[in-house]
Amino acid sequence: MTERLVDARLHLLGRQVLDTDGEPVRTVDDLELAGPGGGEVRAGQEAHVAAVLVGPVLATRLFGGRVPDSMLPRIAWEDVGHVGTAVELTVGSDRLDADWVEHWVRERLIGRIPGGRHDPEGDG
Amino acid sequence: MKKLLGVALGILTAIGGFVDIGDLVTNAVVGSRFGMSLAWVVVLGVVGIVLFASMSGRVAAVSGRATFEIIRERLGPRAAGANLLASFAINLLTLTAEVGGIALALHLASSVEPRLWIPVAALAVWLVLWRVKFQVMENVAGLLGLLLVGFAIALFQLGPDWGELLRQAVPPSPPGTEHPASYWYYAVALFGAAMTPYEVFFFSSGAVEERWTAKDLGTNRLNVLLGFPLGGLLSLAIAACAAVVLLPAGIEVSSLSQIVLPVAQAGGVLLLAVVILGIVAATFGAALETALSSGYTLAQYLGWSWGKFRRPARAARFHLTMIVALLVAVGILMTSVDPVAVTEMSVVFSAVALPLTYVPILVVANDPAYMGRHVNGRVANALGMVYLVIVVVAAVAAIPLMIATGAGS
Repeated sequence: MTERLVDARLHLLGRQVLDTDGEPVRTVDDLELAGPGGGEVRAGQEAHVAAVLVGPVLATRLFGGRVPDSMLPRIAWEDVGHVGTAVELTVGSDRLDADWVEHWVRERLIGRIPGGRHDPEGDG
Repeated sequence: MKKLLGVALGILTAIGGFVDIGDLVTNAVVGSRFGMSLAWVVVLGVVGIVLFASMSGRVAAVSGRATFEIIRERLGPRAAGANLLASFAINLLTLTAEVGGIALALHLASSVEPRLWIPVAALAVWLVLWRVKFQVMENVAGLLGLLLVGFAIALFQLGPDWGELLRQAVPPSPPGTEHPASYWYYAVALFGAAMTPYEVFFFSSGAVEERWTAKDLGTNRLNVLLGFPLGGLLSLAIAACAAVVLLPAGIEVSSLSQIVLPVAQAGGVLLLAVVILGIVAATFGAALETALSSGYTLAQYLGWSWGKFRRPARAARFHLTMIVALLVAVGILMTSVDPVAVTEMSVVFSAVALPLTYVPILVVANDPAYMGRHVNGRVANALGMVYLVIVVVAAVAAIPLMIATGAGS
């Protein structure tokens, strides 16, 4: 495989995140950077992407402010398998804590309406 | 037959743009006031939507990314968010109008009070969104909507002076009785309706729903080249019927029953029944298109799981969005607002939505990282640039013209 330059702003931010089955999870709303050894990022030093941030961080990017660290849904960069026109994960969305709102709506609302788990492509 | 069903996506998309409830009325108003002098706008709009819908379909087929995903990716959260607000407002207002339109059409057929039909219509729309397979939905709604061809049949039966209709159309000669500002207001409204953004949202997402790949680019071309011109022809037929019957009689169109007047005069009860069925199907189809588009746009902006091909539980927030949109639509209609007046307001929002939708499509259709060797050719790019200018001019002119003319009155 050839080396490819990935521009975080151009090739990561705003891209669709797909789980291992190709199911959409979220859009890349922001990125968490970490310095060498997972420490803090310092100007002039090497940094790497530690996690994809989703959810409430979009609101703070638009309107300012800061989301408390504990409330920041993140998808670890280790779970990212491939970066193409979408960011593809190597895990299923059911295992992602970052996708908890979807799970909640599924279990509490949509899954409870009759036919909510019916496969439209199947027969009958 | 299989070929015919293969273009149902294009037909259903075009119905939402050219002959949904707001356009049915606008077309007839235009015909009864300006004759065929605005026919050129429909032609201009057809070429524009064919151009950009085929680009959005090609992007979806080759890269698997639907239009609002690329809008978010290319414009960033702010500009894409502005587009989302405007597009979502257009979707919601149009959905409201369509649900009201189904009720009005059923009222026309049954004389049962429209307000009783509204919840029934909304429930029927939801059941289709919830349960029916995408392909079945587009085939039934698209093909039944084609019954509007009854307007064209009525036109032939009326036996109009074709030379006179042509003289009104080329070169365009607006009647002296109308103010030029009104003429241009309707020109912008017709153009905006033809290029309305939910068409590309629906079309590109539909391409993903149908799992198009680079192999389906021929299907894509066929869909846009058949669907949109057909929509344009239906819209011209409605305007021509009004120009032949209502214009000389001095009747100003303000309700659905006046639109079908020429049909009843030309073809009697049978043709009238066909056309009313066509109106119900077209408004129903447009309701499905706008409801789905509201789910598609929000889900694709935020990256949620979406699509009718998934079990509803596997696209939970997408289905929740559509349910909420339908409930809001019913709520608005229950205030007895005129559904047709509701769509006129959406012209305002197209000022923001049109350029912010078509620029990213044109950019990504040229990006080899998405498109590989299927990037735009020179002709498509040249035409695309010309249309971007027209779109911006129309978008900027929309609001001042609306204020100056009191929405064309």
